[in-house]
Amino acid sequence: METLFLDFFHNTGFFLCDYRNIIMILVGMLFIYLGIAKDYEPLLLVPIGFGMLMGNIPVFKGLGLGIYENNSVLHYLYLGVTQGIYPPLIFLGIGAMTDFSTLLARPVLMLLGAAAQAGIFITFLGALALGFTPHEAASIGIIGGADGPTAIFLTAKLAPTLIGPIAVAAYSYMALVPVIQPPIMRLLTSRKERLIRMEEPREVTKREKMLFPIVAFLLCCFLAPAALPLLGMLCFGNLLKEAVVTERLAVAARTSIIDSVTILLGVTVGASTQGDVFLTTKSVGIFFLGALSFCIATACGLMFAKFMNLFLKEKINPLLGAAGVSAVPDSARVVQVVGQREDPTNFLLMHAMAPNISGVIGSAIAAGVLWSFMS
Amino acid sequence: MYGVEAISINNGWAISVVGVSIVFTGLMLLSLSISRLHKILNIWDNRNDLKIFRKKTQEEPQNNLLPFTEKNKISAYHFRLLIKTMDDPFSLQRLLYLAKISGLDRPHSNLCRLIKAGIIKSDHKGKYFFNREAFNKLAS
Repeated sequence: METLFLDFFHNTGFFLCDYRNIIMILVGMLFIYLGIAKDYEPLLLVPIGFGMLMGNIPVFKGLGLGIYENNSVLHYLYLGVTQGIYPPLIFLGIGAMTDFSTLLARPVLMLLGAAAQAGIFITFLGALALGFTPHEAASIGIIGGADGPTAIFLTAKLAPTLIGPIAVAAYSYMALVPVIQPPIMRLLTSRKERLIRMEEPREVTKREKMLFPIVAFLLCCFLAPAALPLLGMLCFGNLLKEAVVTERLAVAARTSIIDSVTILLGVTVGASTQGDVFLTTKSVGIFFLGALSFCIATACGLMFAKFMNLFLKEKINPLLGAAGVSAVPDSARVVQVVGQREDPTNFLLMHAMAPNISGVIGSAIAAGVLWSFMS
Repeated sequence: MYGVEAISINNGWAISVVGVSIVFTGLMLLSLSISRLHKILNIWDNRNDLKIFRKKTQEEPQNNLLPFTEKNKISAYHFRLLIKTMDDPFSLQRLLYLAKISGLDRPHSNLCRLIKAGIIKSDHKGKYFFNREAFNKLAS
């Protein structure tokens, strides 16, 4: 009886626990706190945070419980991440809930979304310089796109062992957009620039909105075919929304499908952060480079907006450049908040949505380009 | 390997420059094409106002034609006589030749007027025939 009791005790989490599991459990709890109490991306941080708790319960290896064991339930759910299935489904939902009107009304703002993607490639160089392999460097660089699904998709293809740290870094920085971006925005713009008012955008017809996903898909995918899974689903989702006759499918894509996939993605990514796998020097490097990538992307967008103002007759508010990173719609909201601090009657949100959405397209193209270069 | 050497060996500079260029080109092309989208749709909506899309009606030539003067009527009568001597359908070239050797006044111009008025019509196989109805209406 004593032996039985001891055997049981040796299999409990209390006995198998490692300090790294405790650290990760604390990080998971911090994520849950930030999501619930601070309202930072709660739809992502709460599932990821709870997933971290699930993944860091110390389990006896061989029972088929851990996410890295072939026959475990979590492992099967995690296949959606490692095989790159969840990100395109999330893009389908994003497409079905996104209104491209502001982009269609002022297409020149699209260039800000392109400029912000420079952060991806600059960080790629930084990661190479720090000794990461090209595949790992490309996966780290894409964090600068501030697009969680894209980062997971590319990492699943190029450096599957880094999915955990990269996904957590990408989503953490997405959640921390309101903290990271404003100081950079204030540093790189003058008060006079932040006060610039944007002209009212023209009205966009329904037919334009319907044609846009088809034109965008054909153009971008002919140029960068590797962006097909992400851009294809994004544009398809948007066509379902705009076509009106497919409203039922659009509703399914933007509610039940994206919600289910977000839960599965969040929990499994969180569970993949097992202390012994996650807490390595590489992860520290990834977090450092991810933050750097995010800051560079924001700065590139801002600087390019200022550059464009040298040639434009109707000046644009350079704060819009910060929305070029594709954290939809958080970075657009940050632009609105920073702009309104200077002038409470200046409404920049709808204008900021244009570079914000083009950032999503841009980061998907960048991921496709990096994937095709590396494969 | 670290630093600039690692970047160079892994072809990092080229990948970055080409990568940024592709992303910029893609979004710039998209931006250009969607900036023209509403204009193209506008042209399509007003296509009936464009010359190339306007349907040509058969009545148009007759409507633009000045009324036949007495001289024109006499000329039409002469051409009718010449056509009677020919097979039906007839060759326009032969009719013009006959008109010239018969000494008709300004044969080219008058023949052109008859064609425009629909008195002489094409059979769309290279030959022409005489339209009695149009002749009675316009030239008799």
